[in-house]
Amino acid sequence: MLTMAIWWLAISLEALLLVRGFQQKLFRHFPIFYLYILFVFIEEFLRFSVYRWYPSHYSQVYWVTQFLSLVIGSALIFEIYRVGLRRFPGTAKMARYLLLIVFGAVFAKTLANPSGTLFLWLAQSSVELERNLRIVQALAILTLVSVFLWYAIPFGRNLKGILFGYGLFVGMSIVQFTIWYYSLVDIGRFWSDAQAVSYLFGLALWASALWSIHAIPEPKPAMQLENDYEALVASTRTQLQRTLARLGWAVRL
Amino acid sequence: MISTSIFISAAISLVLLLLLTTSREDVEENAKGGSPGPGWRDSRDALQRPELVFRIFSREDREFILHMRSPRLQRIYQEERRKVALHWVQRTSREVSKIMRAHRLLSRESHNLDVGAEAKLFVQYLRLQLTCGLLVLLIKTFGPHALSDLAAHAGELYQRLGRALPDVVAANRIAASEDTATH
Repeated sequence: MLTMAIWWLAISLEALLLVRGFQQKLFRHFPIFYLYILFVFIEEFLRFSVYRWYPSHYSQVYWVTQFLSLVIGSALIFEIYRVGLRRFPGTAKMARYLLLIVFGAVFAKTLANPSGTLFLWLAQSSVELERNLRIVQALAILTLVSVFLWYAIPFGRNLKGILFGYGLFVGMSIVQFTIWYYSLVDIGRFWSDAQAVSYLFGLALWASALWSIHAIPEPKPAMQLENDYEALVASTRTQLQRTLARLGWAVRL
Repeated sequence: MISTSIFISAAISLVLLLLLTTSREDVEENAKGGSPGPGWRDSRDALQRPELVFRIFSREDREFILHMRSPRLQRIYQEERRKVALHWVQRTSREVSKIMRAHRLLSRESHNLDVGAEAKLFVQYLRLQLTCGLLVLLIKTFGPHALSDLAAHAGELYQRLGRALPDVVAANRIAASEDTATH
C-alpha cells in the first residue's frame, strides 16, 4: 500500500514538474533535465505496468531502464557544468581539468585492479555496476560543487535545486547499493521505502526550485586592469609571498 | 577497504568544510559589495606593516618586563601579548583569504586561465593557512615567543654539543691510540 502511494506520488510530482517546466519555458534553459524527468516519468509508468501485469519480467525492465536513466543522469551533470559556468570561462577550464583528473583516476583504478578490465570492475553484478557508476557520478558532482564554491559561482535558484536534488538522489543510491552489496545489515523493505521517500523529497525539492524561472544573478564586471590574467597571478603571488615573509619574521624573531 | 573509505570520506569532508567556510566568506563579501574595489590592496598593506610584526614578536619588551622582577607584571604581559599575537596571526589568515578570494573572483572570468598557476597559488595559500594555524596553536599553548624560545633552546643545545664535540673526538682518539699500543 505504502509502495503504491509513493509510486503514484512520484508520478504526480514528475507530471507537475513537466507541466511547470512547459508553462514557464524552463525546458529551454535546462533541456537535459526535462528530458531526464520525461524519461523517468515514462519509466515509472512502464515499470508500474510490468510490475502489475508481467511481474516475471520486472527485473529485466528495471535494470535496462535504470541503466538508461543513469546515462541521462550523467548528461544532466554535463548540463549543470554547461549552464553554471557559461559566463565563467576560467572556471569552466579549471572544472574540465579537474574532471579529467577524476575520470583519469577512476580509469587508473580500473587498470590497477588485478581482477581485470574496466568492464569486469564495473559489471561483476548489476548492483555493483550501478553503485560504481553512481560513485563516478558523485565524484563528478563533488568536483563541480567544489569548483563552484571555490570560485564563488552564483548558482541561481533553479540550478541550485537541480544540483541538490540530483546530488541527494545519487548520494542515497550509493548508500543503498553499498549496504546492499556488502549486506552489512538486513535492510530489506525498510531501505527500499527510505530510498523511495528520499527520491520523493528530491522531487519535491525540484518542484519547489523549478516552480518558476529565476535568472542566475549577474556577477559584477571585473576591473579592467585585472583582466590581464598573468598580471593578476603575479600580483596575487607577490601578495602571498609578502605575507609569508611577514609570518617568517614572526617565527624568527 | 573500510579504512580507505574512511580516509576518502574524511578527505572529502575536510575539503567540503574548507569550501563551505570559503563560500560563507564569499556570501559575506558579496553582501558588502561583491567584487573587490580598487583600494583593497592598499588597505591590506596598511594593516600589515613590518614594524608591527617586529613589535609584537620582539623579545625586547619581554626582557624589559623580566628586568622589572614582578611576577604579576610578567603574567599580565604574557596574557596581553598572547592576545595581540593571536589577533595578528588571525588577522593575517583573514587577509590571506581575502587575497585569494579577490584572485578567484577576478580569475574566474579570465579566458586564458592557467591551471598550473592556479594550482601553485592554491598550494601557496594552503601553506600560508597551515602556517597561520600552527602559529595560533603554538601561541595558544606556549605563548607568543614560543618559536623563538624553541629556536634559542635548539641553538643553545647545538652550541653545547659543538663545545662538547671536540672533547669527545679527542677522547676517542686517545682511547683508540691506547688500544693500538696495548695490542
